[in-house]
Amino acid sequence: MTISSSTEIVPKHRILRGIDGTRATFKKTLFVCALLFAALVLIILVMSLLGSEKLPAQASLCALLTFGKSSCGLTGDQDAILFDIRLPRILLGAAVGGSLAVAGASYQSLLRNPLAEPYLLGISNGAAVGTMIALVFMGAHEWSRPLMAFSGALIATLVVYRLAQGRTGATPERLILAGVIVTTFLSSAIVFVTTLMDATRIRSFTFWLLGDLSGSTAKLLWLALFIAISGTLVLAAHARSLNLLMLGERDAFDLGVEVSRVRLIVFIVASLLVGSSVASSGSVGYVGLVVPHLVRLSLGSDNRITVPAAAICGAIFVVVADTIARTIIAPRELPVGAITALIGAPLFVYLLRRR
Amino acid sequence: MLKQHFSQFQTFAGTRRVLALVLSLGLLLTACSKLNNKKTDSQISAHQTTDEAGRTITVPDTVTRFISLAPSLTEIVYAIGAGDGLVGRTSYCTYPAEAQKVEAVGDTLKPSIERIIALRPQIVFVSTASQLEAFTNELEVHHIAVYVTDSHDLEGVFHSIERIADVLGKRPQADELLKQLRGRVSAVAEKVGSRPPVRVFYQVSDEPLYTIGREAFITDLIKRAGGVSVTADIPGAWPKYSAESALAAKPDAIILPTGGSMGDANSNVASALKRSPAVANGRVYKINDDHLSRPGPRAVDGLEDLARALHPEAFNQ
Repeated sequence: MTISSSTEIVPKHRILRGIDGTRATFKKTLFVCALLFAALVLIILVMSLLGSEKLPAQASLCALLTFGKSSCGLTGDQDAILFDIRLPRILLGAAVGGSLAVAGASYQSLLRNPLAEPYLLGISNGAAVGTMIALVFMGAHEWSRPLMAFSGALIATLVVYRLAQGRTGATPERLILAGVIVTTFLSSAIVFVTTLMDATRIRSFTFWLLGDLSGSTAKLLWLALFIAISGTLVLAAHARSLNLLMLGERDAFDLGVEVSRVRLIVFIVASLLVGSSVASSGSVGYVGLVVPHLVRLSLGSDNRITVPAAAICGAIFVVVADTIARTIIAPRELPVGAITALIGAPLFVYLLRRR
Repeated sequence: MLKQHFSQFQTFAGTRRVLALVLSLGLLLTACSKLNNKKTDSQISAHQTTDEAGRTITVPDTVTRFISLAPSLTEIVYAIGAGDGLVGRTSYCTYPAEAQKVEAVGDTLKPSIERIIALRPQIVFVSTASQLEAFTNELEVHHIAVYVTDSHDLEGVFHSIERIADVLGKRPQADELLKQLRGRVSAVAEKVGSRPPVRVFYQVSDEPLYTIGREAFITDLIKRAGGVSVTADIPGAWPKYSAESALAAKPDAIILPTGGSMGDANSNVASALKRSPAVANGRVYKINDDHLSRPGPRAVDGLEDLARALHPEAFNQ
């Protein structure tokens, strides 16, 4: 059984070793995160120069570095393209990528399952159903979308977790099966809701379901950024407990982890992260799977590093993928979810084979 | 043990009997339908023709029962006076009012194949080639021809009207209708033809931003109405469009197709277009979507709506 042999994301002795030397890890974490964050800022700057409309590079950089205080010779329209359309979309992409990657990383540690990912577990679909219900039945309220997405994600998480609990506890196989069941059930719910919708709106919904960052409204951007950053901080604060949980819930309990409290926090925070990203951009797949694994392969499995590093790397991944999505057939656009899946699926197969 | 085995055998025999019954019934039914088909085949003579998608189809010489799977085609059928033979329509086919009395067979994307077959049409009219293959094969097994219309400009719409009239034996009525429609088209051309074209952005939906491309017949309607679509060269019929390109295009007028069967959807200008000269000068026009999105006779109403919006001064004299 290949799946059960990979239950342990990390060998036991390596986890136990990681518990010591907090100071060194803290320094290392700071260093790695600062480096990655610098890379993210650089990538955001470079990606801001690319788009379906050509902007003068020097003037745009100058305007970006002065936070728009000086126009640096950009015309009013160029300024609007850069600061009203392109930059908000890039920042939303960063928030969505960070949220999904952190959610994936913490699900993988908590559930001790390398395949745990918001999309594969049906949690994204739960949020999508919530969002669609909000759009179809509560169209007028601005906040109904993220609220319903969060509720949908949380309900889906709890259902999957319950279904995965057998008499002998949750095995990885049960968890994945539960995820498949919930995903397919919710997919049919999505189909059902689409049939209740106007024919003219179905096309835009199928686009949104694949993950699309073009419809970013300013309010959702700030909400998504706030949830991404604070969610990452909360989960990073529980990274030590997550490390011990990788040993199994019983061992973690014996080592002093308040298992049920940590589990509840991870479920709620991860649902908030998935909910806010789905409400603003639909279901962007593979981010929560590929990014944490890449981070673990290159930086090791200590969640004190993995969680914040996954957030920044997820942001980079989606920002780059969305730049491809909005430029490759410009001025037409692709959904970003198509690009993340196109990059993510082969990358994941490569990672699996390299192991 | 033996008893159990025996009862198992018995149920097995039972299943076999039922199976045989079902099979023979099925055979009987197919034989019957084959016979039936033979009868209709010999009764009604047919000829071969090519539809607008380039498929060769066999059409009965006299068509008395047919189904339309698009609102535009239903409108064409009634406009050429062939509404009596319409035995099925989609739930979106609500114009003219008489059409609503005809049985609905589902919506445009997912019509019920069973209901279509049960209505025994000789021909089914479909408006795009999308998702058609499996559907067409199944209908052809039941000797139902599928005629596909495919118009990318106003002439194409007129061509569809002629071809449908040919199939339904209503050519004189179609000629009369087309004479009238062409008269209205040239009246519009006379009024707006010499005026400088207005640069138009046609907003299909605001979030995500969809517009019209090269293959949409509305691109041609805008041209004939004295405008030019800023997305006229984009490949495809309904492309998803980059917000920054929409902003950079600086359209002088924005058309919002809304109302009609759309309800109040798409009644707001996309946020990227808020800075456009069109918004600054108050040149945002809501036009009944039923006139614009249906490549049928009412497309000429849409043309007149557009021309009035783009060149109001030409109609005030």
